[in-house]
Amino acid sequence: MEFLIVSTLNGVIYGMLLFMVSAGLTLIFGMMGVLNFAHASFYMLGAYFAYTLSGLFNFWVGLIVAPLLVAIIGMFIERYMLRRVHAHGHAHELLLTFGLVFIFEELIKLFYGDFPVNYQRPDYLNFAIFNLFGTDYPFYRVFIGLVALLMFIVLFVLLTRTRVGMVVRAAERLPDTARALGHNVPMVFLGVFGAGAALAGLSGAVAGAFFPTNPNMALELGVIVFVVVVVGGLGSLAGSLIASLLIGVFSSFAVGLDWSLASLFSLIGLGDWANSLGGLVTMPLSSISATVPFLLMLIVLLVRPAGLMGSKN
Amino acid sequence: MPRWITTAAAITALGVIAPAVQAEPLKIAIIESLSGPQTSTGRLIATAAEYVIDQTNANGGFNGEPIQVKEYDNAGDTSGAATKFREAAADGAHVIIQGASSAIGGQVTEDVRKHNIRNPDNPIIYINVGAEAMELRGKKCHFHAFHFTTTAPYRTVPLMQVMSEQGDLGKRVYSINQNYSWGRDMEAAIVDNADRFDYQVVDKVLHEVNRIQDFSPFVARIKSENPDSVITGNWSNDLLLLMKAVGDANLDITFGTIFMDQPGNVANAGDVAEGHYVAHSSNIELLDEAGTEAYKKATGHYPVFIEPTTLNGVGLFAEALKKVNFDGGDIDVNEIALAMENTTFDNGLGGMHVRKADHQAVIPIVVSQVASGVKYPVDGTELGFKPIKTVAGEDAIYPAQDSCRMRRPK
Repeated sequence: MEFLIVSTLNGVIYGMLLFMVSAGLTLIFGMMGVLNFAHASFYMLGAYFAYTLSGLFNFWVGLIVAPLLVAIIGMFIERYMLRRVHAHGHAHELLLTFGLVFIFEELIKLFYGDFPVNYQRPDYLNFAIFNLFGTDYPFYRVFIGLVALLMFIVLFVLLTRTRVGMVVRAAERLPDTARALGHNVPMVFLGVFGAGAALAGLSGAVAGAFFPTNPNMALELGVIVFVVVVVGGLGSLAGSLIASLLIGVFSSFAVGLDWSLASLFSLIGLGDWANSLGGLVTMPLSSISATVPFLLMLIVLLVRPAGLMGSKN
Repeated sequence: MPRWITTAAAITALGVIAPAVQAEPLKIAIIESLSGPQTSTGRLIATAAEYVIDQTNANGGFNGEPIQVKEYDNAGDTSGAATKFREAAADGAHVIIQGASSAIGGQVTEDVRKHNIRNPDNPIIYINVGAEAMELRGKKCHFHAFHFTTTAPYRTVPLMQVMSEQGDLGKRVYSINQNYSWGRDMEAAIVDNADRFDYQVVDKVLHEVNRIQDFSPFVARIKSENPDSVITGNWSNDLLLLMKAVGDANLDITFGTIFMDQPGNVANAGDVAEGHYVAHSSNIELLDEAGTEAYKKATGHYPVFIEPTTLNGVGLFAEALKKVNFDGGDIDVNEIALAMENTTFDNGLGGMHVRKADHQAVIPIVVSQVASGVKYPVDGTELGFKPIKTVAGEDAIYPAQDSCRMRRPK
């Protein structure tokens, strides 16, 4: 029971963090069809900006201003780089943003050094919110989950219930018609890209204070956010949320369960034989827990090629 | 006669004449991860190695010429290292220094071995200052490879010994390591020493390398075994996140680590780090102040993490250079290698030398504890590494592996 509750809680919170980072990508990828490989770099920039600002002012200023700075950088990239290559198709956008990843990484190292910086949450946020079976549960984890939840609600309402959302969706689905109706489509794209970057920046500012803020943080999350978006279905916010939670919970349970292929064989009485084989057969699930998301992606793509909530299903 | 033949002849003639006119300078290639995720380690190694060479050059260089050092960026992967090795060999490097990553170390040492088989008159020395895999001193050992860093059992034994003497090891030990050669070496060392230091390995986990963001599931698993101490060879994020997650859960567990002294660790872990142990090959607290201050003056910071190891290794090499003399003639790399085998170097904690059987350096190991009130606090915090005990190299070192069959030059 303890294992079940603790693992679920850990998994859900980690899933919320994944959602927080991938929400902006869902917006950019889903609404604009831009493969932004540099999305996790925005996440990293958000953390570093928040680190600098929290040193100059305080934690909350960092949390609010850092996403705005990242949004400005994002809009600059959209306006002066991505828009130029957009006509040449996805491959060019991918290559451009792929290059940006390296540039951002080395730039960060130039300015902040090669080592993790000391970006900490303020002391008054540093307490245990409850005690679970003798283990303190840090409040900040819950805080991350709450921010992600808030982000989901705001985005969902904005996109489906307001006029702004309607224009954005129209600009994505039928750009020519939207333009004919008098909407400034390039401006809409600029705004969406900025908003997506800001979301990544915000998640960096929040999560960077919990996980270390270091020059590799973009690399660490870069691939997994794509997995979330693909599993969830392109452009589907709800899909991203479900995919994030699934990945979080599965990874969490994988650590605690020492299952291996050998234990599967022992169910049919071949356990001794399988254990004698060694190698991959006896490899416990916990040792490959970070591959769980990719396994999930494989299965989802086989069963539902457009993702869990993808519109093409 | 076509013109190109004349030109070619002229170039050949120049090539033959040149060494007679000018002494051959010693060329050192630093093949390191100077971009990509491993920069933090690679840059430190390059800085420390260049510091030692600069000192030698200030004292007149070698063979009548300043030693030439060139940095090659392997970008953090083995294919990059292989390309850069060919470049360095083409540039005429006599010595290669490398350290970040055992995988790259494996690539470089094999490249050097093959090069030396094909070019017996023109061999290259590999100075390893950071790759800790046992295999490099075992199956992959060869005469021209020198290993100045330790290995998993080399560090684990002193770590366990001191933690047990201090009463912080306890009876229940948890092993958590990264799932590759280094982590497996660590796990084996932790299991092998259970009887010697009277503890029980309650659980052992191998996890993926630097891919896990959230360690709380691992903490839940650790907690369920109720260990007294956690021994881990984790480095970088894998150590930092693990310590933070354990600290957040408020579990009272002592960590025995190998890489706690990586910059940024203590600051990021905060008070959680206090009381944990680290086994390293040097501790700045024990070193001569003049030396560390001179280092700071030249590089802008005190020697940290992998820098002392590099200073020791390249220092021994520089000491060995004093024993050979080519009178401004051609450099005989084998002679330098033989001199390195017979050199004893004082690294500030005691003498160090190279074991002939597998070219593993015999270095004392310092076991330190993260504590306040030290001379050199790190990362802008109050905390630093308080030395608890220095274990002599002979007492800590593992026996040479049978798999190492070294062919010596005739």
